[in-house]
Amino acid sequence: MTSGKVHPNYTAVWLWLLALLGLGVAASFLPGGRTLAVLVILATASAKALLVALNFMHLRFEPALLYALVLIPLLFLVVLAAVLFPDFVWHSRPR
Amino acid sequence: MASPAEAPAIPGIATGKIGVWWFLASEIMLFGGLIASYSVFRLGGPGWAEAAHHLSVPLASINTLVLLTSSYTVVRAFVAAERGDVRALRVYLGLTILGGLIFLGIKAVEYTTEIRAGFPPAAGIFWSFYYTMTGLHALHVLAGVVVNSIVLATEGVGAKNPHRVELAGLYWHFVDVVWIFLFPLLYLL
Repeated sequence: MTSGKVHPNYTAVWLWLLALLGLGVAASFLPGGRTLAVLVILATASAKALLVALNFMHLRFEPALLYALVLIPLLFLVVLAAVLFPDFVWHSRPR
Repeated sequence: MASPAEAPAIPGIATGKIGVWWFLASEIMLFGGLIASYSVFRLGGPGWAEAAHHLSVPLASINTLVLLTSSYTVVRAFVAAERGDVRALRVYLGLTILGGLIFLGIKAVEYTTEIRAGFPPAAGIFWSFYYTMTGLHALHVLAGVVVNSIVLATEGVGAKNPHRVELAGLYWHFVDVVWIFLFPLLYLL
């Protein structure tokens, strides 16, 4: 059972990926404060990852149970980051 | 395509696909753990951005372009396999493997340049993270090249099982997604 005969427009997805790559790299040259640049860079990276996962990896066409396999480790990651985060707050607090 | 004898564990998904996703779930934790600790360390310590400036953004951008494009070619290989178009399958899988090799070649140039410039893995904590994360990722690219070559050797002589091309592609896309995050975190921020 392959993911069916429905295929997204792979070429359009690829062109979007290249456009987002260009945008992210361009944002790293933004003058002034880093906040905007960091936001654009991380947003374009997340958009690229979503495009690949949903279209190239066919998640768009998979049953809900497969999402559990993907989302559970991502949830663990959030927990891991949340547990590590106090360490950074602790050490960077002015003493 | 699951053989009639095996009943899929999740209705509507072939067993092999569940297996690959299960493996990718463990990979998410492997790379995620590294990325999470890298981020926390970087947020907590000054001087990281300065070290990152010694990396080559142009080379890494080209590498990202190569990897994104190879994700596109492997998905085209799957479409070709579904159609039973062996010629196109061979061309697209060959291009995918070539993309992986180009990526590794550029990475090797980067490592050589950085080490010659005085930044071996022991040069500081940024460099330790950099070599660990990109090195582990490069090993995954190498594994993907091997897997895709095996699929090319078996399916390329007569597409019998397009499902194998899709499963190899899933892994290849995952390696691409990992790089999608490593590239901005190490090079751009």
